[in-house]
Amino acid sequence: MSADALATGGRTTRAGRGRRTGKRAFPGQRLLGLAGILGFLATWELIPRLGLIDAKYLPPASEVVMALVRDLGLTAFWVSVGETMKAWFLGLVLAIVLAVVLGFVIGSSTFLRRATNSTVEFLRPIPSVALIPLAVLLFGVKLESSLMLITYAAFWQVLIQVLYGVADVDMVANNTAKTYGLGPLARIRYVVFPTALPYLMTGVRLAATVALVLAITAELVIGSPGLGREIALAQSGGAISGMYALVLATGLIGVVINALMRLIEKKTLSWHSSVRSEVIL
Amino acid sequence: MKALKTLGYVLALPVLLVLLWWASTLGAVNFFVPTPAALVQKFAQTWFGPRFFSDVLPSIGRLLVGVVAAIAIGVVGGVVIGSVRWLRALLEPTLEFFRAIPPPVLVPVLMLLMGITDSMKIAVIISGCVWPVLLNTIEGVRAVDGVLSDSAHTYGISGWARVRYLVLPSASPQILAGVRQSLSLGLILMVISEMFASSSGLGFTIVQFQRSFAIPEMWSGIVVLGLLGVTMSFIFQWAERNILRWYHGQKEVENAA
Amino acid sequence: MQPDTTPEAGTIRPEAMLSVRGLKKVYQTDGGDIEAVRNLTFDLRAGELACLVGPSGSGKTTLLKCISGLMAPTEGEVLLDGKRVSGPPKKMAVVFQEYGRSLFPWMRVRDNVALPLKNQGVPKAERDRLVDEALEAVGLSHVPRSYPWQLSGGMQQRVAIARAIAYQPEVLLMDEPFAAVDAQTRADLEDLIRTIWKKFGVTVLFVTHDIDESVYLGERVIILSSSPTVVQEDIRIDLPVERDQLETRSLPRFTELRHHVYEQIQLAKKGHRPAAAEPAQAGSAAKPA
Repeated sequence: MSADALATGGRTTRAGRGRRTGKRAFPGQRLLGLAGILGFLATWELIPRLGLIDAKYLPPASEVVMALVRDLGLTAFWVSVGETMKAWFLGLVLAIVLAVVLGFVIGSSTFLRRATNSTVEFLRPIPSVALIPLAVLLFGVKLESSLMLITYAAFWQVLIQVLYGVADVDMVANNTAKTYGLGPLARIRYVVFPTALPYLMTGVRLAATVALVLAITAELVIGSPGLGREIALAQSGGAISGMYALVLATGLIGVVINALMRLIEKKTLSWHSSVRSEVIL
Repeated sequence: MKALKTLGYVLALPVLLVLLWWASTLGAVNFFVPTPAALVQKFAQTWFGPRFFSDVLPSIGRLLVGVVAAIAIGVVGGVVIGSVRWLRALLEPTLEFFRAIPPPVLVPVLMLLMGITDSMKIAVIISGCVWPVLLNTIEGVRAVDGVLSDSAHTYGISGWARVRYLVLPSASPQILAGVRQSLSLGLILMVISEMFASSSGLGFTIVQFQRSFAIPEMWSGIVVLGLLGVTMSFIFQWAERNILRWYHGQKEVENAA
Repeated sequence: MQPDTTPEAGTIRPEAMLSVRGLKKVYQTDGGDIEAVRNLTFDLRAGELACLVGPSGSGKTTLLKCISGLMAPTEGEVLLDGKRVSGPPKKMAVVFQEYGRSLFPWMRVRDNVALPLKNQGVPKAERDRLVDEALEAVGLSHVPRSYPWQLSGGMQQRVAIARAIAYQPEVLLMDEPFAAVDAQTRADLEDLIRTIWKKFGVTVLFVTHDIDESVYLGERVIILSSSPTVVQEDIRIDLPVERDQLETRSLPRFTELRHHVYEQIQLAKKGHRPAAAEPAQAGSAAKPA
């Protein structure tokens, strides 16, 4: 439970100060990063070309990149991406809505918080993949299967953060607001929500990553439509370059989602004085 | 009295939920949901027998080997990369990309490269779990306090002693946050690797139950995975509390001020 | 007591424990070069307790980092016992202002004090003796099992001081060590420094921005000019060796010295530069950044 507090930035003081010196970009930093990527691609290119690994199993980078570029021009590819993103988005939204509602209800009552604690601590570590057989049984190879897994996994990420966020309020400003005569609703609006928002955003960012992992997993293992299933099909069908191209594509989607979530977090919290320290997921 | 109240808080909701479950299975027999009694019975029958040694233990063994290897690689790599500025700049974008790849897609890739073997399953776990530890360690090493670092420097603490007494403890909160993510990821990858490509192990067995419509057995398998997750989480929390006693104490003092 | 001569700038004295010679530090930043320290020269004899005082932003911390070998000077050199300082020397210990960030929060008080010795391979028995002695000297024998963050600010700084003296340095550098503790604690710590200085016979260079503190503590006060820094004045504090917070501070001589230092600092803030520093300065002023 304490490690989650880390992820929400308990470490602002010490780490924050150290970071300022560490983060300072130096000339050529970006170029070095680019060189790193190129170096990686070059190594990848050379490994099969030198015969260290059979090109049948690991095609050279150029071939895979070409396959990816070809994919980008295909409708089928974009349909798969769309399926994956649809499951990701719906599952994530469902999880966020459920977690926010439950989180605020549970969090604002000491009784509920104490009464649910053991159940939350017990249910949370259950790996969502354990539900795969159940999902298949209930929904078969359909979107609902993916949604069930995604929502279950993402839900806990958000819920825990919301609970921390609401708990954080108790100690800080609620009493001040009470003395100024703010009612319960006004307190939620002006005190609880703003305090919990940074936590919520952290939860959403973590949940977005987890949701993508589960979306791909569901497609890969259950076979619901999307990029994951295409990867499995490409592999079993021997379209090896195609498989690697799709793996690259999932990585790119991951990068885009990360960047997007950080952007949203930054925009939502731009007013927030304590810029929360980042602990990478 | 106080202990009794705490116990009440801990047990009330779980008991209530089990009662609800039991009540809902009282009426017509539900194909999908076994009664609590049936589940407990199947659980004992299914898992306390030869299956414990043929499926459960090997799965846990692979998980442990994979996670421990991932943590070792992540911490060592993270300390090296985090301490050398140009190396960090060179590798960080590439590593960020690797972290962004959803780890389950590594299953078909590694299956292709290594075949369906135990080492493939361990490789899947390692290659998925290493990123959170690696990147968090880099971040933690980078954020070592400047004054603390100067202090160590003026007392001639350098090289391995610096890593041992300054860098690792200072980065330990971030490292453990990464380890925590790795543990849950490792469990997921263990299951997937067995569901996708295996003829034994927990994941495989559970899918087999589902395919043969052995519903109570399937549920009991889900319970096993759940228990595994909960056990790992408790062990981790216990370890974390001990390793980071200083950190939580310090935070408490700072927050109280 | 001591002969009533101030060490002349630039002369090498054989008995000098610490000599700072023609020190210059220029920071290279995106907005051009910033000259923090222009030309600093002074010597400390073995066993001397000198205070370095200057207006804020007079490059005190920069100077200290150069002396302690944490930072390389742009020009000039620092000699410790005749040897040039190129990295943190063994014979030197530093106490930083930020006590909360200079002790290892994951180690108990005793381990914090013992770590530098352990790192040097001092045998366990010897180490225990030194640590006990140091903790005793700073009045912290009763808390060896505590973590630093469980202690008050003043006590944390005592731990840092204990760690420094257990290291058996010949020179002890202190960078505004009491700037962040409350007034009462500060008075106690000042007396502690005098006691330790007498007991261990260590050479102390104490950096502060507090004029009273510098006069009360020091046998000698080196006043720095505003940045780019040179030595504004170097005065001997001819107060009795036995000092007392009430009595010493109410001596007429204390008030006089305090007055003098205060005037000099005011002058320094206005940008007044000592005539003596100009010739030495002329050389480096020919190539300004």
